[in-house]
Amino acid sequence: MNSRWVRITCREAHVLLSERMDRPLPAWRRLRLRLHLAFCDMCTRVNRQMSVLREGMRSLGR
Amino acid sequence: MEASGIFMTATAEFADALAAMRPMLLKIARLQLRNDTWAEDAVSETTIAALEGAAHFAGQSQVRTWVVGILKHKIIDHFRKSGREISSDAQQEAEEVETFDQLYRADGHKADEPQDWGDPETTLSRTQFFEILQTCIDKLPATLGRIFMMREWLEYETDQICKELGISSTNCFVMLFRARMRLRECLELNWFSSGKAQSAQ
Repeated sequence: MNSRWVRITCREAHVLLSERMDRPLPAWRRLRLRLHLAFCDMCTRVNRQMSVLREGMRSLGR
Repeated sequence: MEASGIFMTATAEFADALAAMRPMLLKIARLQLRNDTWAEDAVSETTIAALEGAAHFAGQSQVRTWVVGILKHKIIDHFRKSGREISSDAQQEAEEVETFDQLYRADGHKADEPQDWGDPETTLSRTQFFEILQTCIDKLPATLGRIFMMREWLEYETDQICKELGISSTNCFVMLFRARMRLRECLELNWFSSGKAQSAQ
């Protein structure tokens, strides 16, 4: 399998992280994202930060 | 019965508590409605509805949650009635795109390395964090701020948002992505990197 088809950039990963907050990702995108996160600490951080952001919004006004 | 911490609506004490909440409610309403008059109306209606709704509460935070819930519904009603009034300023949108692209390098990597935000539980228990979060939301370009709040605070589904705002689904996702990444940058800059995260223990 040519890795060009599987590897995504950090920006693309962020797009997917964001989309995943709104709807389930199709299988192929889900795979690409998982692979990217497995090898990218920075995007793993951003992933966690998105959770903090969402949790923060749920608590806003309480 | 005089146990402290029990609020009953339709008392003078409750009216005082509502008055104290007014600035916060106004802030939330302004963020959403982007119009002072609409915001004042929504908060007034909320106050009236709250005063009319007789109930017992175990404590202040329950009261707050309930009143904010009323405000949320008033805001949703406003959206339903008034349709899509936010005009897309082409100039503003062009600027937004330009400044957003600076967050990434040409090869798709982030321009700055994301920091470690530490323990989420600790973060979310800090009132200062929420103040900064509100400020960061306020700083968002109008269209992004609004869609973000519709999604994350009013908890609309994305297809609901697209319908309300009359925009394409693709556009919806792009805007939410931009809003979230901008908020991420703003939070990191103002909360996590400034030492507030560590010092507020």
